[in-house]
Order: sequence, then C-alpha cells, then structure tokens
Amino acid sequence: MARAAGNRNIQAKLVLLGDMGTGKTSLVLRFVKGQFYDYQESTIGAAFFTQVLSLNEATIKFDIWDTAGQERYHSLAPMYYRGAAAAVVVYDITSKESFQRAKKWVLEIQRQGNPNVIMVLVANKADLDTKRDVGNEEGEQYAKENGLLFFETSAKTAQNVNELFYEIAKRVAKAVPLRPGGMKLHRRSQERGRRLFCCSGSSPFGSDDCNINSW
Amino acid sequence: MDFIVSFTFYAENSENDGARFQDFLLAMEATIRDHPLWASASEEEIDCAVEGLEKYVMTKLFSRTFGSSPEDARIDREISEKVLLLQNFLRPEHLDIPAVFNNEASWLNDLFPPQLAEKELLKINAFRAPREKLVCILNCCRVINNLLLNASISEDRANPPKLHSNLKFIQLYRRQAKLVSEAAYYFTNLVSVKTFIIDLDAKSLSIGEAEFQESMQAARLARKRTGIELSHASDEIAASAFPPIRMPNDVKLADSLLTMDEMAALGGLTDAKPSTSGSNYPYMEVEPGELTVRDVEKLLTLYKDVVKKYTNLCEAVKRSSLSPSKKLRDVCDVECVEAVSTYEASRLRRYLIYMAIS
Repeated sequence: MARAAGNRNIQAKLVLLGDMGTGKTSLVLRFVKGQFYDYQESTIGAAFFTQVLSLNEATIKFDIWDTAGQERYHSLAPMYYRGAAAAVVVYDITSKESFQRAKKWVLEIQRQGNPNVIMVLVANKADLDTKRDVGNEEGEQYAKENGLLFFETSAKTAQNVNELFYEIAKRVAKAVPLRPGGMKLHRRSQERGRRLFCCSGSSPFGSDDCNINSW
Repeated sequence: MDFIVSFTFYAENSENDGARFQDFLLAMEATIRDHPLWASASEEEIDCAVEGLEKYVMTKLFSRTFGSSPEDARIDREISEKVLLLQNFLRPEHLDIPAVFNNEASWLNDLFPPQLAEKELLKINAFRAPREKLVCILNCCRVINNLLLNASISEDRANPPKLHSNLKFIQLYRRQAKLVSEAAYYFTNLVSVKTFIIDLDAKSLSIGEAEFQESMQAARLARKRTGIELSHASDEIAASAFPPIRMPNDVKLADSLLTMDEMAALGGLTDAKPSTSGSNYPYMEVEPGELTVRDVEKLLTLYKDVVKKYTNLCEAVKRSSLSPSKKLRDVCDVECVEAVSTYEASRLRRYLIYMAIS
C-alpha cells in the first residue's frame, strides 16, 4: 500500500474536565472499553487510560487523563491539563450548573492552557432529553463563539462518542506536520513537537515536557 | 568519569544540576548513536545504554543531588508531620471518597494484599537512581489501580518519608524523554498529592476552620503523648504512632493530674504546654497599667482557652459523682475513649494517599 509514507505514529495527551457527575469517566470507558455503568463511581483524584485510533493519515495513541470533578481538587487541575494536545470539557445537559462550570473551564484553559490545544465542548447525557435543562443550540452557540468543537453525546447509548474521539484524532493528525516516514524519535523531532504544542507558562516540574510526540 | 568530577566544580544548585545532567544525557545519547561501535545496535539497546548511564551517574552523584538543601529537608519534614497529624482524624468523606471504599470485608482484599501498594511506595528511599524511584511510584499506583473501583486501601503507613525530595529528584534527573505518558501521569498524581497536602486547610476538607484547628491540635497532642519526636518522622514511627491505650486502673493519681491539662486540650485548644511554666499565662503577674492595646487579642485568646479548659474539665468531672480519685479516673476514661477513637481514625490515613493516586 502506498500509505506507508503518510502513516505516522502520534502520541497525544487528552485531558477530560468538567463538573462532577457529568459523565467524564463514562465517556472514556465507553470509548476505551465499550462499556457503560449506570452507577459509575466518582473519580477520586484522576485516572489514566490509553487508546489507539488508526486513521488513514496517521495512528494516534491517546493518553487520556481523566480528572475528578470535585471543587476541592480544582486547584490541582493545571498539573493535569499542562501539555495536553486536547482538552475535552464535559457538561450534563440536565444541569444548567454544570454548563456554567464548563464555561469556567473553557475560560481557564484559554487563559492558562496551551494556546494550540484542541478544545472540545461536550454536552453529555443526551439520552436524558426529557430532563434537558441546557438547549442544544445554547451549547453549540457558545462553542462557536469560542472556537471550540462541539458534540452532543451519550455515554449510555454510545451516541457520538466514537465520533468525538475520531474528530479529535483528525485534528491532532492535522496539527502535527508530516515528516519523512521511518524517522526515529530523536531530540530534534521532540523539539519540533515542543514548539507546536507546549505551553510557555512556568511548569510545576521545571520543564515543559510535551505530550504530543511521534513514537 | 569527567562529568561526575566536573559537577563538583559548580556551586550546588539543583535546578542547574538537573539541566546539566539532562544535557549530558542527550549529548551522550547522540554520541552513542553516531559511534561506529553502536552502529548496528537496536533502539532498545541504545535505550538500555542511556538508562544504565543515568543510573551510574546519579548513583555517584546521589549525596549531592538528593534532598541536599536545607529548604528541601524542611519541606520534607513539614509534609511528613502534616500527614502524621492528618492521619489522626482524616475521614474518607473529607475527600469525597465514597463509603463503598470503606468496605474492609471485600473479597478483593484477599486477591490483592492491600499493603502491597504502600510497601511499593516506601521502597522509594531504598533506591538511588531516578528511574528506580519512578518505578516505585508506578508500582504503587498500579497496585492501587488494580484495587481501583473496589476495595479498601488498608493498612496505614503510606507516609513516604522525603516525599518532596524524591519527587524533585525524579523531576530533575529522570531522563525527560522517559517522564511521559503513564509514568508522567502517575508522577503528576503524586506531585498533586504533595501540593494538596501542603496547601491542605479546613476548606480542602469541607470542615470548619475551628474544627480543623482542634483536630490538628488534638492530633499533635496525641502524638506528643507517645513521646515521639515529630521531626524525626519516618515510616517506622508512623507504624508505631498509635497512642498507647492506657487502662484507667494503671494510671497513678499523679499522672492523672498531669494529663488533665492535656485532656482539656483534647477538647480543642490552641497550644497546650504543661501549665507549670508561665508561658501559657504570661499575664498572671502583670499590672493593668502595663497592658497595651496589642495585648487585647492575646488576652482574649487566653480567656477563650481558659473557658474551654474549664468547660471540658467540668464536663468530665460531671460524669462522676464519686470520690475525687474516681473523678480523676473518669477523666482518664475519657482519655482512653479518645485514644481508641484516634486509633480507629489513624487507619484512615490510607485515604490520603488513595485520594490522589487512584
């Protein structure tokens, strides 16, 4: 196949943010394992998953950093979204409050996050349409105004979940420039990735490691 | 090796040392790749070579690079002490840990010996190379992740000494290319737990400021009574940190008198030192004319202390209508109850570590 030249391996860090109970972990479990639990436990601290998506243009390996939605852990969030290639901000369509909180997350990432981050607003729990408190247009409008991708999903019915991650993967592939196939991960290629995706702010670890790299 | 010797030419500064070491590793890796001897080596072999180099150099430089500044030592001590105190009263609900994790009887306990996780983490000080230290964190987190969404994290002791120095060391000296993905994730979790502990206050636990201060003070006292120096906190100490449970019958009258002040403090005071010295009551000898406006705040605090002590003492004494010595014994009974519940609470220390690394 002539695909070889364009077939690149890209590792990308993806972080999930949003109020507690909006379904962040459920979305990941649906995407990674194809499972759904009606009574998913609260995430304590955070949780880590990986998933590989193969596109025509590249193979994307997602490092997924799930976070706890509780307010008490909010101040720790920058450590988690630092260096992320994609930030997925989730709200629950049955909770106006979670939508407000999502807007705050968007603001925070815009101000403090990596300027090249691919940001997605996700309206989850679309299966609970009868209890809807946030209109589809409302979310879509806000996303458009802020240059975010927008998806209305249901982790329960799997509606739009794969689509969401595929779209992110495509954006990631587009953002990482093509380079000659077969090139090994080397100092120079890392630095190239760095220029692309790393936030310039001070980091808690002293270095701005970048989480989108070829591998 | 010249590089190791060259280190001693520079003034000690961990950030500079870290940067110099990272540059050295990158330069060496490039040299290896270009060297004819390594021309046929696989990616894996080159990786092993650099790993070996990191380990060799850092083992040699360990005493200079690990926790060497007084500042680092101070932060280590502060974290360790704070954790020891928190272990006395922290409950899962303070950290939004659902009750289901509290289920000790879970069959999962049999499958995954829960002490495993803590053991892995405590091993961290036995290793001198950044990679190995990081592996300890990974193993600990993996064990906990295996337990994840299920059982309790069980037995105590997850108060890794020198947490700050270990994290700083890994961050500075672990090959940057290796501190990514899952390793970075678990590492971040422990860094965030460190930050959470350092910044931890009443608000972090959703309890009142007064309750927080009282609990911390009670914990300080409980520890003081065991006669253990907080400043030498270590895992062994953490293991033996339970206040001994004294039976009332064994307590002599004189002891009881001494502990009454402490007992009152358990009810929640600011600073409970033995009341024999004048330091607790600096105004006893003072004339009204000597007082200034600035003294008002201190006086008010002291007044509140005295009232609290008095109230606590009255309450304890009220429980008994018998002889004075029996009254004192009852005071001790109250103390015993406190000691027992402190013991119970100390098992909850596990949730502190659990909170961030699972």
